Amino acid sequence: MKQPSTNSNTLSRRNLLRGLGVALALPAFESLQRGVVRAATIESIAGTGATTASGAPLRMAFMSIPNGVQQAHWFPTKTGNDWQLNETMAPLESVKQDLQVVAGLDHENATAGPDGAGDHARANATFLTGARARKTAGSDIHVGVSVDQLAAQKVGDITRFRSLELSCDAIRNAGSCDSGYACAYQYNLAWSSPSTPVTPDANPRSVFERLFGAGKPDERRKNYALRQSTQRSILDFVLEDAANMQRELGQQDRRKLDEYLEGVRDIEQRIATADRFGQIPNPAMPTPDGVPPTLAEHIDIMYDLLTLSFQTDTTRIATLLLAYDGSNRTFPELGISEGHHHLTHNQNVDELAKKVAKIDQFYITRFARFLQKLKDTPDVDGNSLLHNCMIVYGGAIADGNRHTHSNLPVILAGNGGGKLNTGRFVEVPSQPMSNLFVTMLDHFGVAVDSFGDSNGRLNLI
Amino acid sequence: MFYNLALLSRNCTQLAPAFLALILIVASSGPEVVQAQSTTTQAASSDTATQRDAVVKLLKSNCFDCHGNGESEGSLQLDKLLEQTDTPESRSRWWKVLSNVRAGTMPPPDSGYVLAGDEAATVLEWLKYSAMAIDPLQPDPGRPTVRRLSRREYANSIRDLMGIDYNADVMFPPDDSGYGFDNIGDAQSLSLMILEKYLTAAKEIVDKAVPTVCKVIPRQGFKSTDFRGSSKSRNGDNMRLDKTHNVSRKFSVDEDGTYQVAIELKQHGSFQFNPQRTHLKIELDGDTLHEAEYGWDESKRNKLSFTVDWQAGEHELRFILEPLKLPAEAKVEADSYAEVDVEAVAVEGPSDRAKWKHPAGYERFFDRDEPPTEVTELREYASQTLRRFALRTFRRPADESTLNKLVDLAEQIYSQPNATFEAGIAHAMIPMLASPRFLFRTDKIDPTSAGEKYPLIDEFSLATRLSYFLWSTTPDDELLKLAEAKQLRENLDQQIKRMLNDPRSNSLAENFVGQWLRTRDVSKTSIDPLEALGLQPEYDELRAEFRGRQFRTKSPSEMPTKEEAKRLARFQELYEKRTLLDAETRSAMRRETELLFETIFRENRSLLDMINPNFTFVNEKLAALYDIPGIDGKEMQRVELPAGSPRGGILAQGTMLVVTSNPTRTSPVKRGLFVLENILGTPTPPAPPNVPALEDSAGKFGDRTPSIREVLALHRESALCSSCHSRMDPLGLALENFNALGMYRDADNGQPIDAAGQLITGEKFKNLQELKQVIAGPRRADFYRCFIQKLMIYAVGRGLEYYDEHVIDELVLAAENNDGRLKSIVHDVIMSAPFQRLRPSDSPSTLAGE
Repeated sequence: MKQPSTNSNTLSRRNLLRGLGVALALPAFESLQRGVVRAATIESIAGTGATTASGAPLRMAFMSIPNGVQQAHWFPTKTGNDWQLNETMAPLESVKQDLQVVAGLDHENATAGPDGAGDHARANATFLTGARARKTAGSDIHVGVSVDQLAAQKVGDITRFRSLELSCDAIRNAGSCDSGYACAYQYNLAWSSPSTPVTPDANPRSVFERLFGAGKPDERRKNYALRQSTQRSILDFVLEDAANMQRELGQQDRRKLDEYLEGVRDIEQRIATADRFGQIPNPAMPTPDGVPPTLAEHIDIMYDLLTLSFQTDTTRIATLLLAYDGSNRTFPELGISEGHHHLTHNQNVDELAKKVAKIDQFYITRFARFLQKLKDTPDVDGNSLLHNCMIVYGGAIADGNRHTHSNLPVILAGNGGGKLNTGRFVEVPSQPMSNLFVTMLDHFGVAVDSFGDSNGRLNLI
Repeated sequence: MFYNLALLSRNCTQLAPAFLALILIVASSGPEVVQAQSTTTQAASSDTATQRDAVVKLLKSNCFDCHGNGESEGSLQLDKLLEQTDTPESRSRWWKVLSNVRAGTMPPPDSGYVLAGDEAATVLEWLKYSAMAIDPLQPDPGRPTVRRLSRREYANSIRDLMGIDYNADVMFPPDDSGYGFDNIGDAQSLSLMILEKYLTAAKEIVDKAVPTVCKVIPRQGFKSTDFRGSSKSRNGDNMRLDKTHNVSRKFSVDEDGTYQVAIELKQHGSFQFNPQRTHLKIELDGDTLHEAEYGWDESKRNKLSFTVDWQAGEHELRFILEPLKLPAEAKVEADSYAEVDVEAVAVEGPSDRAKWKHPAGYERFFDRDEPPTEVTELREYASQTLRRFALRTFRRPADESTLNKLVDLAEQIYSQPNATFEAGIAHAMIPMLASPRFLFRTDKIDPTSAGEKYPLIDEFSLATRLSYFLWSTTPDDELLKLAEAKQLRENLDQQIKRMLNDPRSNSLAENFVGQWLRTRDVSKTSIDPLEALGLQPEYDELRAEFRGRQFRTKSPSEMPTKEEAKRLARFQELYEKRTLLDAETRSAMRRETELLFETIFRENRSLLDMINPNFTFVNEKLAALYDIPGIDGKEMQRVELPAGSPRGGILAQGTMLVVTSNPTRTSPVKRGLFVLENILGTPTPPAPPNVPALEDSAGKFGDRTPSIREVLALHRESALCSSCHSRMDPLGLALENFNALGMYRDADNGQPIDAAGQLITGEKFKNLQELKQVIAGPRRADFYRCFIQKLMIYAVGRGLEYYDEHVIDELVLAAENNDGRLKSIVHDVIMSAPFQRLRPSDSPSTLAGE
C-alpha cells in the first residue's frame, strides 16, 4: 500500500480534533503525542481502519490459555445486569465493567472429527484460525490465516509493526508433538498463510529491543537507526541472491524462499516508510533482561510490553500465547506439584478440579493486572487505552477433562472504542467462535464476508 | 559383501520370501555409489495377476469383515481401495495397511483372523511391489526439500566458520519440529521476526569475529593478582599501606624495540581518613622506574606510563611497598584502613610498525600477511578472499556475478580514505551470513547423472548433507576440497570414517539421540521428588513441628528429646531428598544416555546394546540414585553391571524414566507409548474420535486405593480404549519398578509391583529384564527398523513415505547381517538412495505403469 506524506495531514488532523473539542490530555510521554500524529495519518489513508470514532487507534489482541477451564468455577453465576463474577474471575472485579464474558461459542474444527487424537495441538491451531489443521507430522502443514494476521495484512501498514506475536512458553520438548501433529500447530497462534505460522518471541529483552532499539535508554534511537541502516545494506544483496536462488529451485520447494523474500520486502517497506512514523518512541523503562525466573513475572512483562506497544502506537494487533495447549507446567508457587495438563484429566475428582481452578485463576490474575494497567493509561482521545481495545482471552478447549470444544471460555475486554457493550455476561445462542472474529474484523474496519467456519456475525456483544 | 541369507530367514520371519531372495551387493569402495541391485525371481510383471488374486482372497477372508463389504472400521474399506486408481494417496493407504500387517496389529491378535507367516509375506510383498509400485532397482529417493539451519546448526556453523560462539539458544526462538526432529525442512518456517534476527546476528557476528585492521601493536595485559609475593596469599591486590609488600611478575617479549609500559595504581580505603603512608617503588629488571609516597584515599586511580627500550627476552616488573613511620601525633580511627592495588599493567610494543602482529583470528579470513597496495591487485585479493569465504559459507562456490557484487561492496568501503581493506571485506561478509544460501540448504543434481530418473546429488550437496548429518555443522575444508575436485564420492568410505572419528560426531548423540530419546528434556522435566516418593505428607507434618524451633546444645531445656531427635533426623533426611533430582544428577542422566550411544559408536558395537548392555555410566550422585555402590566424584565413569541388575539400557536409564513421568508419579501409559513409538516403532491404531472421560473410576474400588495396574485394567475393559492401551500398558507396567525419579522400587503405595506382561505379538515376559531380552531377541528387527526410520528422517530432513519402504527394508536387513553394528547402519543410511539421490523437482512421484 502506498502511503502519502503525512506532514500536512498532521496539522489538519490536529485542527480537526481541536474543532471537535476533544480534550487532548497530552502527557509528558512524547510517544503519545505521536499517537495523535499517527491517528491523523490513518484517517487520511485508510478511512476508518483500526481507528475509533474519536480518531484514536483501535487495537485488537488475543490471549490464549491452555487446557480449558473448570467451567463451574469459571463462568459468571448470573446473567444480565446483576451478573456476578465466579470465584475464578474474582480478581477481575475492578475491571468488571470494562469486559464481557461470552458463553456459547464453539470451535467445531477443534473437535476430533475424522482426525482422531491430538486435541491440544488441534485446538491451539484452530483457536485464532477457525480452521481445521491438516493432520501431518510436518510434510504438508495447513490450517488457515489467523484473525490477527488477516487484520495485519489489511491495515497493519498504519503502524511501525504490523503485528506483534508474543509467547510465555519458550521451552520446547524434544521429540514429536501431540499425536502426530507437527509442532508448528501446537506452539503458534498466528498464521500469515495457511502453511506459515508466525513464530512468537518469548524473550522480553529481544521483543523490547526489536521495537525500541537496543542499548542504554539514550542510545536506543541511535542503535535502532543503526540497525535499519545495516538492514538496508544487507537487503539489496540478499534480495537479489534469494531471487536467483529461487529461480534455481523447482516449484515444490519454493515456499521457504517465498517466506524469505516476503520477509525481506516487509523489512524494506518498514525502512522506506520509517519517516512517516516520526521518532522512535523511547519508553521510560529499563530494557528488560531475558526470561524472568517465574511465570508470573514473565507474563507480567509480556503484558507490559503489549501495553507499551499499544500506548506508543507501535502496533495495534497482537497475540500472546500464555502457554501452549497441552502444557504440563507445574505451579509450585501455588503449591501445585502436578502438571497442569495432567490435572485437567482429573475425572472430576474435586480436590484436583480445585487445583485446576487455582491455575485458571492464576492466569486470570495476571490478565486482571494487564487490564487494570490499560484502564489506568489514558489514550490520545482522553479515553483509557482499554476503552480503545478489543481483547479476546480464552482458548479452544472448553472442558479440559473431556476435551469439549463448545461453550468455550471467552472474555472480551475493552469497549472497542465504543462499539462493544461491556459490563455483561452474555450467553449467546450456540455458534462458531469465528462469528466473533468476523464482528471484530467489522469493528476494525476490515469487513469480511466470512472467516474460518463462521456462519454469521455475533451481534450480541 | 554378500548377505547371509540363512541368518535372515531365521530372524526376519516377517519379511517376504521373494524379498529374501534378493541378493544385495553392496559396493564397499570405488567410485560407484552403493546400489542395492536385486535380481528378484519375481519380476513385477508376469505373476502380478495371480499374485493379486491370491492377496485379494486373503484380504477377503481375513479383513473384509471389518474393512470391506460395507464395513469401514478405521475409515478403511479394502474392497474400495482395491478398485481405486493408483495415486500417491492410495499408495499411502496401502502403506498403512502394510505397517499394520507387518507389526502384527492387523488382523487383531484376538480377533480369530490370522494371516499365517507365508500368507502375511505374500500380502506384504504384493503391497510393496504392486500396490505401492516400488521399483526396487530404482527406489524413489523422495522429493527435494529446502531445509533451514536449526538454531543449533546455525550456532555450530558460526563457530566453525567464524571462530566465535554465538548463543543461538537465547537469541533465536525454538525451532518447530516435525516427525520428532527440529531439522525437518517442511516443518520449519521463517517468519519476519526470525529474519530480522538473522540480519541483526549477521552484523553482530562479523563485528565480533572479523578483524578490521591488518596489524596491531602486540599487547600484554596483567591484573593485580598476576603479581605474586613470596607467600601464596600475597599478591598485587589490596596491599595495605601499613605492611611491607614485594610483588612481581615476569613476562617476555619477542622482539627488540621500544615498548610502552602503562601501570594503573588504585588507592582505596575506608570512608574515614587513615594517616598511614607508604613508600612505593616500581622496579623494572632491577632498576628503579618510579618512586613515590602514597597515602590514604577513598578511591583514586593513578596512571603511570613509561617508555623503555628492551631486548627480546624475559623482563620483570616489581612493586615494593615500605610503610612509613606514623607521625607521633597521628590518630588512627578504629576500622579505618588504606590500600593500594596494582589495578592493571599493559605492556605494548615494539613501537616499530614493521614488527606488529595480526590481530586474533586474522588468518582465518585473510591469507596474505598484508593486503597489496596496487588497486587492481587489491581488488583481485578481495575477490580471492571473498571467494574462499563464500565457498565455506554457502557450502559451494559463488557464481561470478554474486562474487563481483560482494567485491563491489567491499571496495565501496576500503576505497574510502582512512578505511582498511579488512573493514571492506568484513562489510561484504555481513550480507553473506544473512543470505539464504547460508541459511537454507538446498541440493543440486550432479551433472554426470543429470539424465537419470533419480539423479545423484552433486558433491557439494553431498558434503553438506554429510556434515549436517554427522556433525550438525557446516562442511570443513577437507570435505569442500574433495567436493571441488569431484573426489568426495570416490573417497566416501574414508571420509565417513574420518567424520565418525572426529569429536564433532558427538552431535549425533546430542541432537539425534537427544530428540529421538528426548534426553534433551531431562534437564527441565518437572518432577517433585517428595510427592513422587509419597513422602510429602510426612514432610509437611515434620516441617510444621520443627519450623522455627532451634536446638541449642548449651541449654538442656531446649535440647530435643530422644523421640524428637529421631524425628528431626528424619526431617533432615526428607529435606535432603527434595534435591534428589538436582541439575547435576539430571545432567549425569543425560550424559549416561549420550555416553552409551557414543560408546556403541566408538567401539562399533551393536545397536542392541542400547537395550541390553551389561554396563552403564554413572557419577557419584547418579550411582547413589541407582543404588550402585563405590562410585566417587562428579566424573562419569563406566561400570560393569552384575547379572540380574535392573539397570542397563535406555529402558532403565534416568532420562527415559524421568521424561515419561508425570510431576508426581510415573505414567505407565506415557512410558508404554514411548516404547511403542521410539523402540518398537509399531503404529498405534487411530484413536477413537471421542475419548470418554474416566469418571468415578476410583469409585469402583470402594475405599481401597487401586494400584495403577488395576486402574489401567479397568480402562482396558472398554473396547474403545483397549485397542491402544492393550499395547501401551504392558510395556509401561513393565517399567513400574522404576519410580518417577528413575529409582528402583519393589512396591508402590505398599503394594508389590507386578511387571509381567505380554506383547501384542505374543511374547511373554516376567519383568523388565525379560522384556529387554525380548526386544533385543525376537523383536530386534522391530527395533532396528524403528531406529533406522528415525535416523533416516533425521538424515534427510523429511518424514518417510510409502516409497521409502523398500530402502528401509534393505537397511533393516543389512543391520541384521551386520549384527546391528551402529557404524554400519550409519554408513548404509548415507549410502542409501534417499541420502544420495533426489527426485528432480517438478517431476511427480512415479505411478505404476510408467
